[in-house]
Amino acid sequence: MPKEKPDIKNLSDNLKKLSEITEWFENQEEVDIEESLKKVKEAAVLIKAGKERLKAVENEFEEIKKEIDIKEDNGNEEDMKEDIPQI
Amino acid sequence: MEEENQQKDEKIFSISDYIKIVNQGLKAFRSKIIGEVSEVSFGPTGHVYFTLKDEKDESIIKCVIWKYRYDIYGIKLKEGIKIIATGYPEIYAPWGKLSFKSEVIEHAGEGTLKKEYEKLKEKLTKEGLFEEVRKRPIPKYPQKVGIITSKQGAVLADFLNNLGRFGFKIKMVDSRVEGQAAIVDLLLSIKILKKENIEVLVIMRGGGSLESMLAFNNESLVREITGFPVPVIAAIGHHKDIPLAALAADCSVSTPSIAATVLSRSWEQATLLLEKHERGIVDFYGDILENVKINLRNSWEKSVFGFKSLLSIINQQLEHAEKVLNLNNPERQLMLGYSIASCNGKIVKRVKDTKIGKNIALRVIDGTIISKVNKIHPVK
Repeated sequence: MPKEKPDIKNLSDNLKKLSEITEWFENQEEVDIEESLKKVKEAAVLIKAGKERLKAVENEFEEIKKEIDIKEDNGNEEDMKEDIPQI
Repeated sequence: MEEENQQKDEKIFSISDYIKIVNQGLKAFRSKIIGEVSEVSFGPTGHVYFTLKDEKDESIIKCVIWKYRYDIYGIKLKEGIKIIATGYPEIYAPWGKLSFKSEVIEHAGEGTLKKEYEKLKEKLTKEGLFEEVRKRPIPKYPQKVGIITSKQGAVLADFLNNLGRFGFKIKMVDSRVEGQAAIVDLLLSIKILKKENIEVLVIMRGGGSLESMLAFNNESLVREITGFPVPVIAAIGHHKDIPLAALAADCSVSTPSIAATVLSRSWEQATLLLEKHERGIVDFYGDILENVKINLRNSWEKSVFGFKSLLSIINQQLEHAEKVLNLNNPERQLMLGYSIASCNGKIVKRVKDTKIGKNIALRVIDGTIISKVNKIHPVK
């Protein structure tokens, strides 16, 4: 039976899983190399996916921010036009 | 011509027809006559018969005034008073006597007029007709206005010019306003407007002497004004003595233009108030919009800050996880020269995990070395 692939697209889930892994490492009294390696591999995938997702989110956010800033600037220009006395 | 007169002379009239013809002709002698009242008698139907005597040569003329007119003018005819009567002579057929048919009677002489004015004023004041408490307020935003004045003269134009364009619906009754003779017209005008749907009545005339104002010092008119169904504004000009009609009115002003202002005042104020509210609403809405803008900007800035903080926290979490993993990564040990031995796929941690003769896979950093177990030396 093939092992179920983890959903790595959800950043929150990734962070939760990573947190569980780091906790596991921090609480490990005797090193289980086999399990460690498995967890390291899993964590590496999650970190990579997390970073990629974080970058994508940051880019998306910057796009939205840019759009909002442009709209606000246009609004201010309109306000300034209204302030200019009509001759 | 001579022939015509001859023909007339030959025509024979009955007495009745002849009196009719004569009376027709006598109407041309319509006049005002002045004299002292010497005899007064009241008929069973209330008509008043009196004699007027010339004060110089004591010539006399018999006079009559019908009851309804006598009641209007409010003058009590008695021997010795001096009056002016307006009317025309007429032969009273049943008696065959000439008498002066009075249509209007009025007191003669400024002194008498003044005395009569004061007397009536005192009487009506005692009755409370001029008291402030019984005056009704002029309605706000009136539209249906009744007017009694003369179409002649500048009064009406003055009033209309100052009324303003507030959609007034005016019902005007043209009336004489000069002298005692005007009283019949004024009372009739009031009677007409009583039946009309109006909210306020305005009675107007320009200034004048006590004599010319006689109609406005009439008791019947005063009572009609106080009993009028809607408030009355009097714009009656005067010199010294305020006309009694003005005292009785709910609002008395000195000129037609002020009367117009009284009616349009509430409309003017409403217009100003509307403009003020309009400005207020625009300003208020502008403030609301500005506040909404500020709130949106604040919300956006807070969101940006919050989101950036969140991204930073996530980044820190990822970095922390990376560090922890690096520290605990078994491959890191391989880099340092350690190797991981496994036997049959299982990591060899203790000597019991393998046996002599078994193959062991040694995982080093760049590959796997397969070796065979020859000896086992447990650590003591």
